[in-house]
Amino acid sequence: MTKTPETWTRADDSMVESAIRRGANRRDLLKMLLAGGVSLAAADLVLGRASMALAATPVKGGALKAAGWSASTADTLDPAKASLSTDYVRCCAFYNRLTTLDQSGIPQMELAESVESGDAKTWTVKLRKGVTFHDGKSLTADDVVYSLKRHLDPAVGSKVAKIAAQMTEFKAVDKNTVEITLASPNADLPTILATHHFMIVADGTTDFSKGNGTGAFTCKSFEPGVRSVGLRNPNYWKGGPNVDSFEFFAISDDNARVNALLSGDIHLAASINPRSTRLVDGQKGFALSKTTSGNYTDLNIRLDMEPGSRKDFVDGMKYIVNREQIVKSALRGYGEVGNDQPVSPVNPYHNAALKPKAYDPEKAKALFKKAGVLGQSIPVITSDAASSAIDMAMVIQASAAEIGMKLDVQRVPSDGYWSNYWLKAPVHFGNINPRPTPDILFSLLYASEAPWNESKYKSDKFDKMMIEARGMLDQAKRKEIYNAMQVMIAEEAGTIIPAYISNVDAISDKLKGLDPSPLGGMMGYAFAEYVWLAT
Amino acid sequence: MKSRVPSLILSRLLIALVTLTIVSFAVFFATTLLPGDTATILLGQAATPEAIAGLRTAMHLDEPALLRFVYWIAGLFQGDLGTSYANHVPVATLISGRLANTLKLAGLTTLVSVPLALTLGITAAMWRRTLYDRIVTVATIGIISVPEFVVATLAVLVFAVYLKWLPALSFTYQVDSFAGLLRAYAMPVVTLTFVVSAQMIRMSRAAVIETLNTPYVEMALLKGASRPRLVLRHALPNALSPIANAVALSLSYLLGGVIIVETIFNYPGIAKLMVDAVSTRDLPLIQSCAMIFCFGYLLLITAADIVAILSNPRLR
Amino acid sequence: MKTHSSIGTFAAWSGYRINPVGLVSVSVVLFWALVALFAPHITPHSVGEMIDADYFGPMRPGLWLGSDYLGRDMLSRLILGARYTVGISLAAVFIACFTGVVLGMTSAVLRGPVDMVVSRLLDALNSIPSKLFGLMVVAAVGSSIPVLILTLSIIYVPGAYRFSRALAVNIDTMDFIMVARIRGEKLPYLIASEILPNIIGPVLADLGLRFVFIVLLLSGLSFLGLGVQPPYADWGALVRENIGGLPFAAPAVIVPSLAIATLTISVNLLIDNLPQKIRDRSAS
Repeated sequence: MTKTPETWTRADDSMVESAIRRGANRRDLLKMLLAGGVSLAAADLVLGRASMALAATPVKGGALKAAGWSASTADTLDPAKASLSTDYVRCCAFYNRLTTLDQSGIPQMELAESVESGDAKTWTVKLRKGVTFHDGKSLTADDVVYSLKRHLDPAVGSKVAKIAAQMTEFKAVDKNTVEITLASPNADLPTILATHHFMIVADGTTDFSKGNGTGAFTCKSFEPGVRSVGLRNPNYWKGGPNVDSFEFFAISDDNARVNALLSGDIHLAASINPRSTRLVDGQKGFALSKTTSGNYTDLNIRLDMEPGSRKDFVDGMKYIVNREQIVKSALRGYGEVGNDQPVSPVNPYHNAALKPKAYDPEKAKALFKKAGVLGQSIPVITSDAASSAIDMAMVIQASAAEIGMKLDVQRVPSDGYWSNYWLKAPVHFGNINPRPTPDILFSLLYASEAPWNESKYKSDKFDKMMIEARGMLDQAKRKEIYNAMQVMIAEEAGTIIPAYISNVDAISDKLKGLDPSPLGGMMGYAFAEYVWLAT
Repeated sequence: MKSRVPSLILSRLLIALVTLTIVSFAVFFATTLLPGDTATILLGQAATPEAIAGLRTAMHLDEPALLRFVYWIAGLFQGDLGTSYANHVPVATLISGRLANTLKLAGLTTLVSVPLALTLGITAAMWRRTLYDRIVTVATIGIISVPEFVVATLAVLVFAVYLKWLPALSFTYQVDSFAGLLRAYAMPVVTLTFVVSAQMIRMSRAAVIETLNTPYVEMALLKGASRPRLVLRHALPNALSPIANAVALSLSYLLGGVIIVETIFNYPGIAKLMVDAVSTRDLPLIQSCAMIFCFGYLLLITAADIVAILSNPRLR
Repeated sequence: MKTHSSIGTFAAWSGYRINPVGLVSVSVVLFWALVALFAPHITPHSVGEMIDADYFGPMRPGLWLGSDYLGRDMLSRLILGARYTVGISLAAVFIACFTGVVLGMTSAVLRGPVDMVVSRLLDALNSIPSKLFGLMVVAAVGSSIPVLILTLSIIYVPGAYRFSRALAVNIDTMDFIMVARIRGEKLPYLIASEILPNIIGPVLADLGLRFVFIVLLLSGLSFLGLGVQPPYADWGALVRENIGGLPFAAPAVIVPSLAIATLTISVNLLIDNLPQKIRDRSAS
């Protein structure tokens, strides 16, 4: 189908814009667009529009208002405890990390000047000089040691305690140098430090309600579950941000969030329902920003109990899942077909040669028959807690019904789902947030002793490969091992990952400078610092 | 008139304490029945056994739930609502601002809905089985049979998105004039008026019609009283008790039941606070909210009972 | 539920006059009852099948009421939804109102400690937030249709109780009750023959209203995980899951809303227009 300017959407515009930002020249772009079925005239028009958007220079001033989708009284400005997207956005506005990830997922320096190691075991972090906290105190090595060490204290309740546990020793070598020693070599440390939870706070902080960090905004007010207001930090070491103030709150109702954007109350509505895109896409003055970051909802079949202990049942389920239909009906095209392993296409280590299992009801039927489960009613636990899980269950249930396989879909409350059903029920849905490295994904989700081993997959070979690759500084060799591990997961584990879910943020076209990021929607939650408001 | 009212109020206060205690225990047992505790819920997907144990110790959740509950009750008697488990902020601080918001919204809705509903209900009874009565009935039931979230979303679509007369969200902290008040409250108040009026309209209509059938009113009719006069002077006083109860039941919804309106208009009230508290198993916060709802409800029904007693000479 | 909804026609046949509005209301209620009864035999498609590649599709041949947010046939979903909405709501409203009204009249007649204890317990019950109550029920006894019906009933008993008690207390002060008491009549006779006929009008109006509330709360509880399980959905749940179609004026959200409105308006108009003999105390 040839795309004409009429069918061209704003999502496509933003794709072109980001390609230009990545350094693509006009000829590359034309080639890309023509390959995508765009006519030459149309391509010219689109390119003109995209370069116009880029040519605009940032404007200072204005009050930025944005809405996320989840908030509660448990909202926190303590980076270690951040758990909702709302927390991440606020932490990004008030604090900085040692490193951040760029658009291709490669670590870049933020508060660190360098993060280096000769053996991947002992790491030296050199800090940027002249950085101050909002209260005027200068950033020193002690702050970094305190910020990282807190994660090891169970009383803090850190979300990344498990990942932080490998950092066994911290030493402030001098005012601007920190030495981190790991329990065993891990070449990924610079990427791990880019995780939102490893934001740097001032030494000795126990009350986080003031949001005293080194970030682009100072915290004017923060009411958990209600809203937060940040003011431009005049002493920000990077020199920004563009906007004078940044107000952030959550509107949990999908329609209300979009309506607030359309009525002009807010500049950005985060993570909108794919079905609302039609509403925004057709409207003058609004745009969509799409990000595929590696978030996925998976169907987990526990291998250690009935019926998952029958290999043929698990394999049958992999063939009865109609991945294209899930992307089309449940996600309305805002997703990419998954190949049953957790490393997403935006990750440099993604194994693209591993093809997703084709939808094959006949093969599935034969496998179910072999497993002796055909005609039985198999309970499948689903919940609103895992995004799109109910819709996915509907698609799978309908396909299974056609070959006479009865799946008894049970919707359970999202309240308490993670402690009550997830990891526990024989067949259930899970939802995994993006993690920056394959090693984190594997050690959290698939190693034999992994805390969230969703299908209770056990393989000594897999464990050995994981540890071997972890300390490896040779990227090519590492990728080879990771590729093989992805194949093992897809073939042997009981986790079916039908799709990687895209995040769609809807924005007012007054809001400029918003780029997609692999770390998540809203420019990896850090948009407030970079965007500006057109006048 | 040396009425029963003062002694009634006194005895009601004592009874209220008993009811609050029953509710408190019921809420406590309901909460302990729910799966998971604050530590596991806060850690969510990051909950490993060590992490849970560590956090429980840090939050003093390792004591038995019943003991913590007893401490909370003891604190309550000294006017201390306790500290939220989820964010270590005193419950009183969390609640105060939001309770004020809820009371504001409830107050405005009451001012609009009660006179409107009673007028519609009583006039419908006055002209029973006329076209007017039918229209009121169909419109009333029609409006409440539309789910609240549809009414609210539709209002936003029409008045905020298409007409752009009002903001889609209720920015209450920007209210500094009467126009500002209207902008912030118009849609939430109208939505809630739709929701709570129906019961008052229908019940006042039914109660007035019922009293119109009593021999006492029939007598007045024989004496040649006009229909409106009959309703207002004779039937209404006798129907006051059920009407007052219908009003009390309807208004009690405005304290804890407005979760949908709070969510859609992003209005920071106490209903959302309670829902958050339940989902994080934040016992002191759940208890405090439940006590507030219960107290408000008791206040309303006691007022209704007093109206009932005052309106019926035989009960005085 | 079929027997209940046929009260009106039964009354008409046995010589009671019913006015035209009442007749229309009875027909609508009967229509939905019949749809509910024969639902599995008249759905054109299976409720779970995604037959439309688009979502929130318009009305067109084959998809007479359009398609829902997943591209499923709305007509089939609406027909099967009638089973849940009509059946569960009617059952729940009768249980709630029967229990509430009997308790309310008993308290009004007996007064004293019985009144006191029952009133306080039901006040307390009414003070427990319904979300907490719903979650507790799921956690304690699990989810099934009978549990759903009972939960809905329990939530609405206190309201029915309070209202009927207020009515009955007024009647209880009347002279004819005094006379009956002196005659030595027992409690069941007092409430059934002396009090109920005098409050039946408002009690029925209350029942009609409670029916509306239950129809709406039903979908809320389903979303807590209590009750109707996907792919099936009651009408309220149909509205809720397709609310995203409201800006597009999709039939998927409008049609179930209209279905709810026709059913609830008819039930209430039917109550308002019941033959005089049923409504008035002279019937007893």
